Amino acid sequence: MGQDVIPAVRIEGLWKRFGEQAAVAGIDLEIPAGQFIGLVGPNGAGKTTTLSMVTGLLRPDSGRVEIGGHDVWQDPAAVKARIGVLPEGLRMFERLSGRELLACTGRLRGLPGDEVDKRATQLLDVLDLAGSQHKLVIDYSTGMRKKIGLAAALLHNPEVLFLDEPFEGVDPVSAQTIRKVLERYTASGATVVFSSHVMELVESLCSWVAVLAAGRIRAHGPLAEVRGEAPTLQDAFLSLVGGRAGAEGENLDWLGGAR
Amino acid sequence: MSAPALPSLPSLLGTFAHLKLSLLRNGLRQSSGRKAVYITSLVLTALFAALELIGLIALRGNEHAAALTVPLAVLLALGWAFVPLFFPGGDETLDASKLVMLPLRPTPLVAALMTASLIGIGPAFTLILFVGSVIATAHGVAAAVIGVFGAALALLLCLALARAVATANARLLTSRKGREMALLSGLIIAVGLQFVNLGMAKLNTLHLARLEPLADILRWVPPGSALDAVRAAGEGSYGLAAGELALSAAVLAAVLWWWQRSLAAVMVSADASTVSPDASRKDAGRAADKGAGLAGLLPAGRTGAVMLRSLRYLSRDPKTRMAWVSALVIGLIVPAVNAAQGNGSIYFAFFATTVLGMHNYNQFGQDGSAFWMVLQTISSPRDAYAELRSRALAVALIAVPYTTLVVIVSAAITDNWRDMPMVWGLCLALVGALFATAATTSVRFPYSIPQEGAFKNVAPGQNGIAWGGMLLGALVSAALCTPLIVAAVWLHSAGATGLLWALVPAGAGYGLLIAWAGLRFAAPRVAGRLPEILAAVSKG
Ligand SMILES: Nc1ncnc2c1ncn2[C@@H]1O[C@H](COP(=O)(O)OP(=O)(O)OP(=O)(O)O)[C@@H](O)[C@H]1O
Ligand SMILES: [Mg+2]
Repeated sequence: MGQDVIPAVRIEGLWKRFGEQAAVAGIDLEIPAGQFIGLVGPNGAGKTTTLSMVTGLLRPDSGRVEIGGHDVWQDPAAVKARIGVLPEGLRMFERLSGRELLACTGRLRGLPGDEVDKRATQLLDVLDLAGSQHKLVIDYSTGMRKKIGLAAALLHNPEVLFLDEPFEGVDPVSAQTIRKVLERYTASGATVVFSSHVMELVESLCSWVAVLAAGRIRAHGPLAEVRGEAPTLQDAFLSLVGGRAGAEGENLDWLGGAR
Repeated sequence: MSAPALPSLPSLLGTFAHLKLSLLRNGLRQSSGRKAVYITSLVLTALFAALELIGLIALRGNEHAAALTVPLAVLLALGWAFVPLFFPGGDETLDASKLVMLPLRPTPLVAALMTASLIGIGPAFTLILFVGSVIATAHGVAAAVIGVFGAALALLLCLALARAVATANARLLTSRKGREMALLSGLIIAVGLQFVNLGMAKLNTLHLARLEPLADILRWVPPGSALDAVRAAGEGSYGLAAGELALSAAVLAAVLWWWQRSLAAVMVSADASTVSPDASRKDAGRAADKGAGLAGLLPAGRTGAVMLRSLRYLSRDPKTRMAWVSALVIGLIVPAVNAAQGNGSIYFAFFATTVLGMHNYNQFGQDGSAFWMVLQTISSPRDAYAELRSRALAVALIAVPYTTLVVIVSAAITDNWRDMPMVWGLCLALVGALFATAATTSVRFPYSIPQEGAFKNVAPGQNGIAWGGMLLGALVSAALCTPLIVAAVWLHSAGATGLLWALVPAGAGYGLLIAWAGLRFAAPRVAGRLPEILAAVSKG
């Protein structure tokens, strides 16, 4: 029952400004543990900024973040040891091969060498990267980079996994594999938080969602609650963040007109 | 779940050493050309180091040996601190943004990064010089023991300085102070170069005794003090030796602390260099108006559009801005400082012109992966010519007035108005020649400019291409100006000084002509090599 009481992530009054504009304008959120969490919102809503601040990659202007009861900004190293991150920009040592990257990451996380190699082999296998494990990461395709990033994030068996757009650029077969891996992983009590704009995906995968727009939380809770009366999450989302039906169109009359 | 283990320090250091080695090895793996460049530089460095080592060992017994080794140590430290900022080079282990996700505390991280930076050609070369210095000055067992510590301290200090300065600069550049810092860095490098100049001039006299006054000051400046400790111990002044070593150690500790602080800040801040802090919406609107005003003055069509884009990049992209500001400052400072030292010459104006003209040497690299958008719009050599011409025009808008300014300032400083028209004319021709060669080097030797890392100007592994292009281009540009140089020398020796003014229009005309020919020559090659250029510039 302990896991139901302590939230996986607790966010209080989180703010971040870039110049005049507030990218994240006061977020309070408690994310339950052991579930698949979806963070959705339109482009520029502040998803990446929020995830960066939650995972210790970007210093907030104000606010508190706790993961598993530990304050992220008091002791970032201790928290980073418990979480896995797949960030948006995906900066990696590009001139290492996929396998070398995993070997290096695992050792930097303090795992014993033979254990790292064993886990790396399995992850490369499951993620269908075994064939390109000796290629340099710089020569990987977009989807392959996502997958090797995911492998690096999973390597140390974190308590909470944060993924920014993990399915972007990943082929359907690999996406299915990733889903299986992540589902098995949450079944063991771990938490996965991921951002996405693909509502069908979020709907089929997540049991709990938070909707972010213009730097604020618009709705959060179990999937069914957020969806409410609407037939699909997509409809609920559009009504929450305000779909702009009819706004397109009239100004683009030249598009597709006489050439 | 129990608290997960953080890596132990020894394993961390081992992993970083391993990481650095893998990166070096894999960098070579990518192409055989790169391997050739790397091996050549390895051989050259080894030869040079061996020569220096022999020279230093030959100094053993010379009572003034320490007067050389102490300034040498300080010079090396200065070099480590500032040269990496301005010259090509990329070390991926320097990029701490790739390590932010890992559970590493600041102190072990700094130790691990230091370990990684100990591996490489540069550190080996520096170590050899320090070992040579110790051999030259260590007399007795105590001095030898102190020498081991002294050399190690000096090397660590050099490496720590290099990383601390680079990190602090990155931090400033991604902050609001970027602009001012760019200026300051330009000044620092210019002044540093002058010190090197000064040191060289002194060394050439080969009278080491004359360096004693300099060494007397520098022995209190680490890492000079670490090497003077060796001499002091040899002469039996153990107290002084211990004090000097302690001073070096204290400075090393301070530098490491400073580095650790900047590193911690850099790792968790967003790149805010493109955010204008006080630009409210109103200001942004005004800036847009200003752009519109400028656009009104520029020619219509492709020419104006490309010029406007180039000029906007100049004011908005921190990297481009930085490069320009340093070039402008160095171009003015070097002649001024030389004049102040009594080595003034109006001919330093050529230096300023060259530094500025080289800005276009990798003009497509400045676009980075966005070059594909340019590629889409070039369908013939004609388009390529228009593109090249517009880019050259944008630079000329700054280069021509600047060159004129530098010539006038140099003439005023050195009070050499007689040669002014000649130098002016030659400078204008040189600008044209540099534009001409810049078009060709941009096609033949394009390379990527990494977006991340404020001071990495060349993607790892493309150093050879970058240097080769610049060197070759500068030589060819000088050669292209030969007719005008011959004319100038002839007028000069014939005593026809009144006719020297004719060199100004002649230089301008010749510059225009040669730039036109150079762009014409390069345009079909740009059109034919677009995919290759895109591949080369988007490796960042
Ligand atoms: N480094 C930065 N400098 C300036 N503004 C920034 C920076 N990073 C983010 N922003 C701004 O903050 C806002 C939120 O950006 P963020 O990247 O968090 O959005 P997002 O929800 O991840 O969007 P997307 O779905 O497109 O990935 C945007 O308006 C963006 O322009
Ligand atoms: Mg995002």
